[in-house]
Amino acid sequence: MFKRIYVFSASLRIWHWINFITIMILFFTGLYIGTPYFTTSVGYEATYTYDKNLTMGFTRFLHFAAGYVLLFSFLFRIYIAFFRKGNRMFIPKFWTIEYWQGIKETIQEYLFIKEHRPMIRNPLARTAYFIVYLMIFFMIATGFGMYGLSDPDGFWASVFGWIVWSLGGEFEAHYWHHIVAWLIILFFVLHVYFVSREDFTHKNGEVSSMFNGVKFFKKEPVDINDVK
Amino acid sequence: METFWEVFKRHGVSRRDFIKFATTITGLMGLAPSMVPQVVKAMETKPRVPVIWIHGLECTCCSESFIRSATPLASDVVLTMISLEYDDTLSAAAGEAIEKHREKIMKEYWGNYILAVEGNPPLGEDGMYCIIGGRPFVEILKESAEGAKAIIAWGSCASWGCVQAAKPNPTNAVSIDKVITDKPIIKVPGCPPIAEVMTGVIMYMVLFDRIPPLDSQGRPKMFYGNRIHDTCYRRSFFNAGQFVEQFDDEGAKKGWCLYKVGCRGPTTYNSCGNLRWYNGLSYPIQSGHGCIGCAENNFWDNGPFYERIGGIPVPGIESKADKVGAVAAAAAAGGAILHGIATKVRKSANKEEE
Repeated sequence: MFKRIYVFSASLRIWHWINFITIMILFFTGLYIGTPYFTTSVGYEATYTYDKNLTMGFTRFLHFAAGYVLLFSFLFRIYIAFFRKGNRMFIPKFWTIEYWQGIKETIQEYLFIKEHRPMIRNPLARTAYFIVYLMIFFMIATGFGMYGLSDPDGFWASVFGWIVWSLGGEFEAHYWHHIVAWLIILFFVLHVYFVSREDFTHKNGEVSSMFNGVKFFKKEPVDINDVK
Repeated sequence: METFWEVFKRHGVSRRDFIKFATTITGLMGLAPSMVPQVVKAMETKPRVPVIWIHGLECTCCSESFIRSATPLASDVVLTMISLEYDDTLSAAAGEAIEKHREKIMKEYWGNYILAVEGNPPLGEDGMYCIIGGRPFVEILKESAEGAKAIIAWGSCASWGCVQAAKPNPTNAVSIDKVITDKPIIKVPGCPPIAEVMTGVIMYMVLFDRIPPLDSQGRPKMFYGNRIHDTCYRRSFFNAGQFVEQFDDEGAKKGWCLYKVGCRGPTTYNSCGNLRWYNGLSYPIQSGHGCIGCAENNFWDNGPFYERIGGIPVPGIESKADKVGAVAAAAAAGGAILHGIATKVRKSANKEEE
């Protein structure tokens, strides 16, 4: 009765979970770096703290290491989009009528007016994901910009240093890095909710699809061409 | 014009002291020791350069800083290194005499003098907020810049706009690069800039007859290449996670990192951490107060000074970004839960109908 449709490739699923873990590490280490809310090493001279305690230096190391993982997983994500149609579903096709129709239906569903037609991924979600990719890129660019400017003639400063100055300076870069981090967390909360809700209302295996790659549909989804 | 060596000789300076001086300033300008012979050669052959130093909307803190330069002494710079032809604050002459002299020097050394600008032009009301010798400063600035070889923007005023350009900027004060676009401008920001940085920039331009290597923001790389945070002697406390929480706590006594009380060291590019002030005596962080980021663009608007990340201007209240973020995340979670419950109720109702 249910039709299985293979939506998410293995590489995409692995990327998704790596991305999740990385963002969580980045967010919590970033919060500490922004506002060190506990003092880690009272009673020691600064020199001797390194091998004894969880220090700001170590937190920053975690943050930068996770930043590198985020960068390369992001590049990997872009790379796999070239090889499989299903990996390109983050592009909102706002030039099509279907896109605006889908937006309307999805909003209607969320306002409890009526359910939308079966879709592999509704256009509202596509738009949100696209914005999230932009935000991740912004975080990478500002992050490596600030990181790289310790060495103003170095590699990272030459690649991403410009964004620090285009935001108006280092202070503004810190500020926006902070704001967008929260926006990503905001997305995370809504993402978990809407995915669970989709699973609950349409019984299409939305949650498990990010583990096994498969979604289930009674009728053929309207955007089937995006994966086939 | 005489060369530096000739001037030194005239002042009775020995060859030995002359070489010492050349070596000192080589280090100060951020050049390798192997450059000493070139600096000596430049000092023996290059003629002194006429400098016109004009003052716009400013507080004269740049001049105050400049005259306290210890290595080299500002008097050395003024009397021997450059020929400071016009400076309405430092010169003995005043009134029409000095204004006439400026015009004469401009004509005589057209295309060869260095223009140093302290302060900035307010553009509001046709520049009427700053009048020098009966004329709007913006006119004097444009006129003096026309024949200049290069322009030095002294301090944050000329470089970025500084306090007078802070919101709401009633006089419409702008940095000089908004007014003069066709000349090389060296920005030497800071409120004021470090004295040795000022003399170092002048000497580089005079000795090598070119502008120093600049970063993307137009600041000399050798003095503005590093964040204060990256050169700060308190950095080890930052890395160790040892922070001053309040200015009267134990951490403040021990000289821990001022990050949490709003120090702008992590976002400010300047030489305070390594050159320091008053011949290396101290700098704000060393004296126990956080950096306020005076060398950065918009530092006055990026307040409050004693908080690390600025607030979000939510109508009516100024909140810290973290608080707003947490509230927004909680609201999103709450909204999601409510919406979920509504979905559940709706679905059960639909089932019963079926």
